[in-house]
Amino acid sequence: MIEAPSTLPTAGARLPRGQSLRRGLADNPLLLAGGLLSALIVVIALLAPLLAPFPGDAGSATHPFLVLRPPSAQHWFGTDNVGRDVYSRVLYGARISPLIAVIVLAISCAVGIPLGVTAGYFGGWLDEAIMRVTDIFLAFPPLLLALALAAVLPASITTVIIVIALTWWPWYTRLIRGQAASVAGRPYIDSCRALGVSRWRIIFRHILPNSITPLIVQVSLDVGGVILTVSALSFLGLGAQDPTPDWGLMVAEGQDYFLTSWWVVTFPGIAILVTAFAFTLLGDGLRDLMDPKRIFLR
Amino acid sequence: MIVYVARRVALAVLVVAGVIVLTFVIAHLVPGDPAATWAGPHASAAQIAAARRYLGLDRPAGVQLLSYFGGILSGNWGVSIHTHQPVLSDLAGAAPASLELVTAALIIALVVAVPLGLVSARWPGRASDQAIRAGSILGVSMPIFWLALILQLVFAQRLRLLPVTGEFSPSLLFTHPLTRVTGFGLIDAPLTGNWPMFGSILSHLLLPAIVVAAYPAGLLTRMIRAQVLDTVGDAHIQMVRAMGFGEGAVFGRFAMKLAWNPVAAAVALVFAYSLVNTFLVEAIFDWPGLGAYTTASITSLDTPAILGVTLFIALVYVVANLAVDIFQAAIDPRIRLK
Amino acid sequence: MKPHRAGLLLASGSALALLLAACGGSSNSPSPQPTSSGSQVFTYDTTATVMDDGWDPATEYSDGIIAMNNMYETLTRYNAATHKVDPLLATSWSKSANGLTWTFHLRHGVHFHTGRLMTAPEAKAALQRTIKLGGGAAYVFEAVKTITAPDQYTLVFHLKFPSPMDLAASAAYSAYIYDTQAAGSGGSSSALTKWFNTPHDAGTGPYTVQTWNKGQEFEVILKSYPGYWGGWSGPHYKKVVFRVVGQDSTSAQLLRSGQVSFVEQVSPSVWQSFKGNPGIRTVSAPSWQNLLAQINSKALDLNLRQAISYGINYPGIIAALHGAAVPSSGIIPDGLFGHSTSLPNYSYDPAKAAQMLKQAGYGPGGKPLNLSLTYTQGDSNEQVVATLLKSSLAKLNVNLSTQSLAWPTQWAKAKSANEANRQSIFLEYWWPDMADPSTWFTNLLLTEHPPYFNLSYYSNSALDKQINKVDEVTAKSPAAGSQLYHSMQVTVLQQAPLQALYNVNYQYAMRTSFTGFVPNPAYANVVFAYDLKPTG
Repeated sequence: MIEAPSTLPTAGARLPRGQSLRRGLADNPLLLAGGLLSALIVVIALLAPLLAPFPGDAGSATHPFLVLRPPSAQHWFGTDNVGRDVYSRVLYGARISPLIAVIVLAISCAVGIPLGVTAGYFGGWLDEAIMRVTDIFLAFPPLLLALALAAVLPASITTVIIVIALTWWPWYTRLIRGQAASVAGRPYIDSCRALGVSRWRIIFRHILPNSITPLIVQVSLDVGGVILTVSALSFLGLGAQDPTPDWGLMVAEGQDYFLTSWWVVTFPGIAILVTAFAFTLLGDGLRDLMDPKRIFLR
Repeated sequence: MIVYVARRVALAVLVVAGVIVLTFVIAHLVPGDPAATWAGPHASAAQIAAARRYLGLDRPAGVQLLSYFGGILSGNWGVSIHTHQPVLSDLAGAAPASLELVTAALIIALVVAVPLGLVSARWPGRASDQAIRAGSILGVSMPIFWLALILQLVFAQRLRLLPVTGEFSPSLLFTHPLTRVTGFGLIDAPLTGNWPMFGSILSHLLLPAIVVAAYPAGLLTRMIRAQVLDTVGDAHIQMVRAMGFGEGAVFGRFAMKLAWNPVAAAVALVFAYSLVNTFLVEAIFDWPGLGAYTTASITSLDTPAILGVTLFIALVYVVANLAVDIFQAAIDPRIRLK
Repeated sequence: MKPHRAGLLLASGSALALLLAACGGSSNSPSPQPTSSGSQVFTYDTTATVMDDGWDPATEYSDGIIAMNNMYETLTRYNAATHKVDPLLATSWSKSANGLTWTFHLRHGVHFHTGRLMTAPEAKAALQRTIKLGGGAAYVFEAVKTITAPDQYTLVFHLKFPSPMDLAASAAYSAYIYDTQAAGSGGSSSALTKWFNTPHDAGTGPYTVQTWNKGQEFEVILKSYPGYWGGWSGPHYKKVVFRVVGQDSTSAQLLRSGQVSFVEQVSPSVWQSFKGNPGIRTVSAPSWQNLLAQINSKALDLNLRQAISYGINYPGIIAALHGAAVPSSGIIPDGLFGHSTSLPNYSYDPAKAAQMLKQAGYGPGGKPLNLSLTYTQGDSNEQVVATLLKSSLAKLNVNLSTQSLAWPTQWAKAKSANEANRQSIFLEYWWPDMADPSTWFTNLLLTEHPPYFNLSYYSNSALDKQINKVDEVTAKSPAAGSQLYHSMQVTVLQQAPLQALYNVNYQYAMRTSFTGFVPNPAYANVVFAYDLKPTG
């Protein structure tokens, strides 16, 4: 999110097709790795009830006579401070953070795209007004505004979704506005207008399609960022509450036992890291794939 | 130039005003009755009503907003519920330690990012580039509260290389107490000639700073790589090559110099971002900065304190953005003309 | 300078500086504390704010006793080994045949930290002020009609009814002897309180307050009082530091590296991990402290309270706490008068609980019952209990939302005037003010408007009457007193305004750099630093 604008692909950049796509993938092992890892995480999230040996442990089940057992054949990642199987909870956790990320980004796009298009296409005072409001929200580093809101609202997953969406939409507004403004300024758009093409048609047939690819790249880059923000809020106690198997919450709960029972904190933390890493790798690879310079440098 | 600066400052002022309004709105989202909290658990209805009048909560929202504005501008940021001190003085006490931490983290991040970014740009696409890119993505994907726990366990507890927690060794409280002049331990200690304290603070700073440096290091490596690659194709770099400078000089001397501008901009922006990241690690390391203050405020439901920190960091961010914009415009005339 | 060379220089320069600092600055290897007498420091690691109830010794009723018992002294001190009280500020005492007059002979040559001499008139003034203010555990003196000081070193209590004054005088709260003239002679009581809260202390104890960093980690620092009557010959700690550390893992690391001397509480598994560590001694000791779940009796009727009580997994909680908890019987802990093992205690009976919930339309298959629980932040055992409660109640279609709050916040919320803001279940520890069980009843179960510690908001006038006379009955006849306590506990169990989930087994951990620590259930978590002998 702190990317300088010049590193984003310019409007009009397209994903390569066919042979150049295959060459692109071969040149970019990181993209491949990111894509596969992300797909794996999605599969795990979907199949969690089948893969988890103790699905009830991801809910309110506890086993007070099995607390803090180290990793063993029966509990691959050991048990936590109330006897729940860490492996099962980590698997179910794959449903929580990525799902929250998807919802948050969907909301952000749903708000950001219309606002950005409006500002970029219509320009003038509407543009100024929208961008000033956007600037105000962008004055807060993401975790900060989310934290301030989450601290005053009751802690829950819904709160987390709302507060992160509230801090994320401005980025997309600014992104789309930039794309829309640059496309709207092109001569062929003027021609369309002169020919009497309705503005909605212009927006939907010309502006949006040209803006989508950078948006896709930004979204996939942001999944990792949102997952980290979600886990940070849960770690601070402002997000999902027990017994939800949220990875950030699991790290927070396991802190006190960390010295003697390292597994309670280590495995959920690795899960956060791997998930954020996978999606960011994917996004980074996508961006690289679409960079026109890359084609020339080869 | 003057026009550009004036426009930018006006914009920043507008944004600051908006930020203050936003924090006012958040403050009023708090469920529960602030008048009742103020009046205390034993208050009667009449006392609560009196408290409401005293706190000005019976006035219309517009008036309340204006007085809130006035309060912020005159230095009245409310009173912290858990320390019972004015929030602004709490912030003044806690901010220096966090600023020290973030500064140290950024120094470490740059020390790592510059060479790695250059290497990555020098041989793009090769194995070293892939490895460095993977490493920098790892850095920005790191859950730092987890990294803090792991490093603390490994380096402080198991290997006993570094101190576990705290700002300095507590026995120094009695043998070499620190006289605070500026509030910054690393400035005050050498200023008062307190070298044992200086060394102790540095050694306690190292581990938290490394943890906070992970994100900036990853980000800056990628950015330096991108910027250097960008400039390397430029015309005047071609000329430098034509003049016979080797690739090492091309990258190290010339391309990096040009890359510094946007990188410096990113450093200023990531400073505020890292300030917020300290919330997640200060409690773990017992580092007495804004983060520790915020986590204590969260568990005490201390809304004035939380909003005070929010406002403070947002202001730092706005000022940093403004400084970056002006700096970039001063260096690169093309920007002013946009 | 060329940019990349500058960068290299910067890098190597800072690396060198850091290396030098790491070598020179840190003294955190587990080496013994410096032995020069000026810097012998005893650091007590606690999890919650120490002085959250103010500095007035007459009204302190919270965690502050860990500090106050080093600054102030009482007439007598309870000895857990002999179950009797030892002389402290009083050297001997006697009571009249009818038990209505107690005579204490005070120690000579004791000075307050203000410099004035401690005499019987001073002691009388202090206790009278404490009784008049009526805060804290002042009720331990409720039998007192008048106090007189026939001469400089004799203090006489004239009682309304027989009551063990030697025990009352040894109480952990509200029995301190302090200088009432500390804020100036003829000053008002509130002026004295203000003086105390500056902070100052006016005790006779071995330590006096040096610094108070309110709300911060190194919260209280005490320094030795040179004029202490016990003298300072031999090895003694010269400073006592109270350090508030919220996390177990931090406390454990601090103890291992020798940065703290004594850790009040860590989770059981962390405590177990200290065994075998050469620099650390672990001490397990029974206590008079239990963990109570106070059930909101205004919001939840008898049927629901009993159902909840059957829905708690008592054996599970004890198992999960690995030796830090032992089962309770009734609410009076083992070791105190009135404890009984023949009470109708609840067992974990989810079937019965479900049946009772069904009567009210709740339970599995019925409406969900939404309850809230608050517990103290920083206490990992309470967090485990909260999670287990949530889990066992979830099986009964009861949704228990749990919230961890800093103690002052948790307490304030429970006392809030807005009843809708109050919790359904309040989790807190309780321990007695003196070696007497009445405190569970007078503080937690007597009708209170507004609530202070009766956070189940329970009101039962018949029980109130019994509570108000149990001390008198016990003083006249221990057997009758025991019976009355028994019947009161039966009532409490049947009415279920609160449940004792378990009795705490203190698990202390400390450095081996000192000897002389004796755990004393009468002074919960108090370390009398003067009695310790640093060997380090």
